[in-house]
Amino acid sequence: MTEQEQGREHARWSGPRGLPEVWRRQIARAGLRDAGHGFDPLGASREGLARGVMAARFFYERYFRVLSQGHAHLPATGPAILASNHGGMLPFDAMMIALDVLRHSSPPRFVRPILDHFVPALPLVNTFFTRAGAIGGSRGNVRYALEGGEMLLIFPEGTRGIGKLFWERYRLQEWRVGHVELAIRYGAPIVPVAVIGAEEQWPQIARLPAPRALGFPYVPIPALPLPLPVRYHIYYGEPIAVQRRFQPSEADDLGVVEAAAAEVKEAVAGLVARGLAEREGIFD
Amino acid sequence: MSGARRVMVSGATTPGGAALVRALLEEPSIELVLALGLEEAGSAAVATALPGAERRLVYEQVDLRRPRALRRLLFGRARALEISAVVHSALHRSARDGGRGVHDLNVESMREFLHLLERHPTISRLVVRSYAEVYRLVQDRPSIVDEEHPLDLRPEAPQWVRDRVEADLTACSAMGQGRLKVIVLRCAECLAPGSGSQLYDYLQSRVCMRPLGFDPMMNLLSIEDQCAAIVSALRYGGQGIFNIPGADTLPLSRLIARFGRVEVPVPAPLLGPLYRLRSATIGADFRYDLNYWRFHFSGVLDGARARERLGYSPQHPLRFPR
Repeated sequence: MTEQEQGREHARWSGPRGLPEVWRRQIARAGLRDAGHGFDPLGASREGLARGVMAARFFYERYFRVLSQGHAHLPATGPAILASNHGGMLPFDAMMIALDVLRHSSPPRFVRPILDHFVPALPLVNTFFTRAGAIGGSRGNVRYALEGGEMLLIFPEGTRGIGKLFWERYRLQEWRVGHVELAIRYGAPIVPVAVIGAEEQWPQIARLPAPRALGFPYVPIPALPLPLPVRYHIYYGEPIAVQRRFQPSEADDLGVVEAAAAEVKEAVAGLVARGLAEREGIFD
Repeated sequence: MSGARRVMVSGATTPGGAALVRALLEEPSIELVLALGLEEAGSAAVATALPGAERRLVYEQVDLRRPRALRRLLFGRARALEISAVVHSALHRSARDGGRGVHDLNVESMREFLHLLERHPTISRLVVRSYAEVYRLVQDRPSIVDEEHPLDLRPEAPQWVRDRVEADLTACSAMGQGRLKVIVLRCAECLAPGSGSQLYDYLQSRVCMRPLGFDPMMNLLSIEDQCAAIVSALRYGGQGIFNIPGADTLPLSRLIARFGRVEVPVPAPLLGPLYRLRSATIGADFRYDLNYWRFHFSGVLDGARARERLGYSPQHPLRFPR
C-alpha cells in the first residue's frame, strides 16, 4: 500500500462511537506501522489508542484541564525522545503528555511511553497500555521504535520519580542516562519536557516495601483517597540535538553520555522552575 | 540459484518438507532433490506428499535416529548423487510424546549430521530449520525478538522445548569450526496442519481459552514463506543464525477470531488444569505449559538480519477462515 493509499485508508477510519471529531481526525492521521491486521508489531492499534484517549480525555480536558506550550519544539517527523520529570503516584503525567502531543502536533504524532519493567506482568493494565501505544522498557523494543522513526516518552527518574513523597515534589531524582545513549545511538533529538501539577496531584506520604508476588517496586501510601484536580501545565523545551553533536559510536562513551544527560536534566529543571514561577496556584 | 544445486531434504514427507521439495523443484537451477522420509518408498504417504513423475527427485527411506543408517546414506547415496547441501527439518512433531526416541530424532540426529558432514566430500552446507520457540519470553525482555534474545534454558522446561533449544545450540556450536557452513533459521510458528504447530491444534477447538488480562502479539509464518526462507538460505554464501518471521502479526484474541473460534478469557491458574483435562479426554496435542509464556508476553521475531543478508522478507500471509 502506498503512503497516499494509507492516508486515504486512515482518513476513512471512523473510530469508536463517542470519540469527538477532533480526536478522531488526529488518531486517523497519526502514523502507525500497521503489520497487517490493524496492529503494529509492538501491539498498538488505532482502536486501542482511541480507547486510551476516551479513557483519559476526561482527565485531560476536565479534571486536570491541561495547558501546554512549546509545541513547535516537537519534531514533525523522525525519531525523537521526550524526557520529562515524573511524579504523582500513578502515571497520569504520561497519559497527559501523550494526549497533548497527539492533540497538538501536526502531523499528529503517536507517542510511545516507556513502561516500567513490572507493568507488562500486570493483567489487563498491560494490554490496555500496549494497545494505546506504550511499550515495555527493554532495549530491543526501544531500538525497534526509534529505528522506525517513532517518538518515545521516557522518564529518566523512573520509579524513583513516580514514588516521590510529597515533600520531594519537583526535586529531580537520580537522572538515569539511558535516554541519551539511545538518542545518540539511533539519531534522535531529545525534547526536554516539564509537567507542572502532576507532582501535587496525589500527595504520597510513605512507600512500603511490596511483596515480590505483587510485582510492584513498592506500595505507595497516599494522603488522599483520590487525586486532586490540580491544573497541569506542560512545557516542551527546545530539542537538544545530541544526534548532530555525537557519532552513534559515542553512545558507548560514558563521559559523553553522562554530560549530555546532565544537560537534559538541567533543561528539564529549568522548565520546571519556569513553570512553577509562572503558575498562580496548583488549581490554576 | 547461485548456491547449492543438489539438495538433500530431511523430513520431506511432512507438510513443510513436502512443500519445500516442491519449491526446490520449481527452481530451475536445482538439478536434484534427495528427499528423506521415514515412510517406505512407494507408500501412499510418500505418493501423496511428493510429486511423482519428477526425474530430478529421488526419495530415500531413512531412520535418522540410527547413526549407521545416516552414515550409509551420506557416504553412499548422497555422495554418489553429489549432494552439496542439506536442509535438516526432521523433528518429532507431537508434543505429547517424549523420551529417548524423540530426543534421538530431535537432537542426536543433528549431532550425527554435524559429525558426519564435517568430513563429507561433497556436502558443504547445512541449513537447519529451527524454531522461534527456542526463545525465552518474559516480561522484562523485548517483545521484538532478535537473534541475541535469551534462549529458554530453564531446567524445568518441557522436553519439547529443551530438545529444540539443544538441537539449535548444537548446530550453532558448529559454525565457524570447519569447512561446513551452517545456517540456522529460527522460524516463526508455521500454522499448518501436520506441522506440529501447537497453535494450530489450539485453534481446532470451537472455544479457545486464553489467560484473562493478557493478549500477546504473535507472529505467524506460512508454509510458502518458510520455503522461500530456506531457498534464500541455500543461495546465501555465508553462515549464521537468522530469525524468519511471517507476514502475519496479530494479537492472540484476533487470531482466535480470524479462525472463527469463540475466545474465553479465563484466570491464568485455571488454564493449565483445563487444558490438561482437554488433552486427557480428546487427545489434543496442545499443551498449555509449552505455551504459558507466549500466552502472556509478546514475542514477534525481528527479521532485519534475514532481510539484509538473505534477502528474505515475508510475502505470503496466511489464509484465514475469516
